[in-house]
Amino acid sequence: MAKRMVCRVSDIPENGLKECEAEGGLKLVVANAGGEFFGFQAICPHQEVPLCEGLFDGATLTCHMHLWQWDVRTGAPLGIAEAPLQRYPLEREGDALYLGGESTALDVGELFNGLAGATLEKLVSLAKKESHPAGALLYRPGDPAEDFFVLDSGRIEFLIGRGDRAAPGGFMLRKGEVFGWAALLEGYPARIASARCLEDASLLRINGKAALRVLESDPASGFVVMRRLAALIARYLATSGAK
Amino acid sequence: MRIQVNARNRGYDFDAQSGERVLYAGLRTGIDLPYECATGTCGTCKAKLVSGRVRDRWPGAPGRKFARQAGEFLMCQCEAEEELTLEVSKFVYPMEPGACVPQTCRGTVRSVRRLTHDVIAFALELERLRDFDAGQFALLAPEGIDGYRAYSMCNYERGGRSFDFVVKRKPDGAFSEWLFGADRDGARLEVFGPLGKATFEPGLGKNLLCIAGGSGIAGMMSILARADAADYFSRHKGYLFFGIRTMRDAFFLQELSNFKEANLAVTVALSEEEIPEKTKQDWPVLKFEKGLVHEVAKREMAGKYQNVRAYVAGPPPAVDAAIRVLLLDAKLTTDNIRYDKFS
Repeated sequence: MAKRMVCRVSDIPENGLKECEAEGGLKLVVANAGGEFFGFQAICPHQEVPLCEGLFDGATLTCHMHLWQWDVRTGAPLGIAEAPLQRYPLEREGDALYLGGESTALDVGELFNGLAGATLEKLVSLAKKESHPAGALLYRPGDPAEDFFVLDSGRIEFLIGRGDRAAPGGFMLRKGEVFGWAALLEGYPARIASARCLEDASLLRINGKAALRVLESDPASGFVVMRRLAALIARYLATSGAK
Repeated sequence: MRIQVNARNRGYDFDAQSGERVLYAGLRTGIDLPYECATGTCGTCKAKLVSGRVRDRWPGAPGRKFARQAGEFLMCQCEAEEELTLEVSKFVYPMEPGACVPQTCRGTVRSVRRLTHDVIAFALELERLRDFDAGQFALLAPEGIDGYRAYSMCNYERGGRSFDFVVKRKPDGAFSEWLFGADRDGARLEVFGPLGKATFEPGLGKNLLCIAGGSGIAGMMSILARADAADYFSRHKGYLFFGIRTMRDAFFLQELSNFKEANLAVTVALSEEEIPEKTKQDWPVLKFEKGLVHEVAKREMAGKYQNVRAYVAGPPPAVDAAIRVLLLDAKLTTDNIRYDKFS
């Protein structure tokens, strides 16, 4: 595919932000952090606010509406932000910035973002890309929990419990969100919920045992992933007093 | 009517009465549905209809611009016409134990006082004892006027019977025109509350920075009252910046002078007038500075941001300007900047 130009370097003020539209029509916000350039989704993942209206001090990007913040080098959420920003790697040639390919769901994701390159590559090699039509059932209660999933696009709905006693268990809609994480836990051999695609969905399927072996071979990354997994589980399971 | 809300993390169901806004029905059940202004402006309580029908009480609400996709609506403005299933794209949790769960109740307007040419204070005597946290607000609706207006309580009392308010007259503001239009002593209001997360508890253990524009001082008075009652300023510092245009707009100066805490510094910022000599003599405990309140706060606070929790209230442009100072100059973390943006 032809290279897609995003903007001129000189368009972005020093330690400033600008919304740009890449050739072919992708809107992104470009941040100039002391002469390094970072591209992100143009709109806040919280509530349709253009991030170019936000505050930027050269390191932290803040949406002015509800003060969600991100690390401009990675897009990782800081403070009260509940979701990462989708990052678009940029390549510089002279005075021009080009899209340098899209980051994968694993890169963006809440569990694996920013891991050591070799470990991330091993995980990427374990990931099988799958597409499912709207309405497809991915698993149901009692199914063996062998794989976990990373959402690339679409929406997944969860129901906890069986049959007419099933209760809504939330839904996933952001690129990089991880579900079916029972496959990463000891002592959880079976699914406790059903997962169904609400829209056509594209996913990465990763075998839990194989991923754990990769993480065991790089315990520093493994520790980071397990801390994040604990935080993620707490977030989904939290009731009052347990946040 | 049964309302089912599917949130990012789980589902909830609760009952709404006929004519009751979906948001208020969920909140009074103890489900911490997302909201900020609760009055149609901010768009935070956006939801998507999965099944059922709603009646929109204010289709022209400014917050509708955040809810433009098919099926989207504001929970603070819509009532259920039949059983509903909704989707809320946020993580929703039950309110914490001990939270002051909002309820609808009635109250009687008492002690109406004019504080300035365009500010009135009154006490709403409630028919039931109510708890609220310092810094919270409530929604008020006089009989015969459609829709609620949000005002912060300026007192603090546990298990009290009174919510005290200050109301600034706004051109075309239905509630303020109602209040200024006649003697309202004894009038009945419907009140829903308490609401809002810009609250203060003495267990916080941080120095307090309060920046208020105009009637935004109300919530700060509640916070200072709560802090003072707990002897907070014997252990922590407090800085209050109160922005008004001219001395003609000043109120609560006596109440602020009464705190007399060595650790609490109160600065009144006048944006459109040099400080009159007489003012300085009249209010020796208070400090006066010329300028917009966020600029004055920025000047005076330089080097004093250690261990600070900031509270901000006032007209939205003043709140935005103050937040900018707190983030970019003070480098406060976002969990230490508390504000409720309602106008």
